[in-house]
Amino acid sequence: MIYQLTVPAVADVEEIRVLEWHGEIGHRFHVGDLIVELETHKAIVEVRAGQPGIMRVVMLQAGDWQQIGEPLAIFSDNEEEEVSAQAASALVVEFQVS
Amino acid sequence: MSEQVVRSKRLFFREAIACALEEEMAKDPRVFVLGQDVGSFGGSYREFDGLHEKFGASRVRDTPVAESAMVGIGVGAAAAGQRPLVCITYMDFMMLALDPLVNYGAKLRYKTGGRLTAPVVVKTTAGAKGQGVAHSQCIEAWLMSVPGLCVVAPSSPAEAYSLLRAALRHDGPVVYVDHKRLFPLAGEVTLGEIGTIGKAKIRRHGADLTVTTHSYMTRIALQAAEALQKQGVSIEVIDLLTLAPLDVETITDSLEKTGALLTLEEGQSTCGVGAEVIARVQEIMGSVRCTRVSALRAPVSSNPVLEKACLPDTARVVDAAIRLLKKTAHERR
Repeated sequence: MIYQLTVPAVADVEEIRVLEWHGEIGHRFHVGDLIVELETHKAIVEVRAGQPGIMRVVMLQAGDWQQIGEPLAIFSDNEEEEVSAQAASALVVEFQVS
Repeated sequence: MSEQVVRSKRLFFREAIACALEEEMAKDPRVFVLGQDVGSFGGSYREFDGLHEKFGASRVRDTPVAESAMVGIGVGAAAAGQRPLVCITYMDFMMLALDPLVNYGAKLRYKTGGRLTAPVVVKTTAGAKGQGVAHSQCIEAWLMSVPGLCVVAPSSPAEAYSLLRAALRHDGPVVYVDHKRLFPLAGEVTLGEIGTIGKAKIRRHGADLTVTTHSYMTRIALQAAEALQKQGVSIEVIDLLTLAPLDVETITDSLEKTGALLTLEEGQSTCGVGAEVIARVQEIMGSVRCTRVSALRAPVSSNPVLEKACLPDTARVVDAAIRLLKKTAHERR
């Protein structure tokens, strides 16, 4: 299964700037692992894995801006799964946000 | 002759402010900051982030909640040769500081025959955002009539930066009014740009109606412009940026083209920004078809339903524009 991480909805926030990724492509994340820190106009938001997965595609680099709800990264259950053509059909899942 | 490299950077509104202050403070040791939570806390909106760490407590000073004293100290320090920025967290509480600001700051040049001036910037945050009747006001219109007082109001990170740099270099006093609802915005900032106090900017060109606006309402005006375009009405949106002195020429130039004026503000219409714009424009051009859109005549409640009902929104601006243009078309027949 392919999963898509999108910029989470945060109250009173319209867009974010990527601060730091906490893993590279190919990294296997476990539940609760910190994936990425996003900067909002107010505070830094930590996005953590709500389920295990391997990070396969990263759409934005540190310093890039993005709107709420737009794609950030693609994950998969297995590293053999084809991701490039299927990114658009990837399942958008909930990630833990704090 | 060395040319400064012009860099453009996308920043949050608060970062534009911090950036402008950092550059002015690095350049001029007389610039210092006074206010609540400006020091290690970095500002109520984090708009002073990093300054306390970089410049120390003597130049980024936390004060008690005492607006009259804060502005009095700022005016006095300015008269003595410093260039302070006094931060009044809520514009509502500017009311407590009007005596030192007006009677001592603004009048100093006049009282001393020009021998003393008060180059102080009073930065304050206006606007309604759920915090109720005493924490929502936009009273910049009250300040426009004070001789000797400059009033500026950025509407995006670009001018938050450029106007703050200009204000800190001005003879003063300058009141710099930002808005609670501007802080979530991000935008391109031209680093190095010193703004021009007294110059409005045309945000969108149009032919049927001139809309003057400032601060957060600029966003509402531009949204209304999009909606009106779909109805075949093209509006010219003028972002005033400086309320005192007003850039009347940009407005009259636009009116030569459109012949109709809608003024938009979040504050009250009675003796408001729009009232002054219309009076000035009519003194120059004669009778102009006009209407004012503003808050309803009530304090802004913390109740979200009442707050929304009180403030101008895109729909009200569109409605007012259509009614103005329909009315005047009918009268001309």
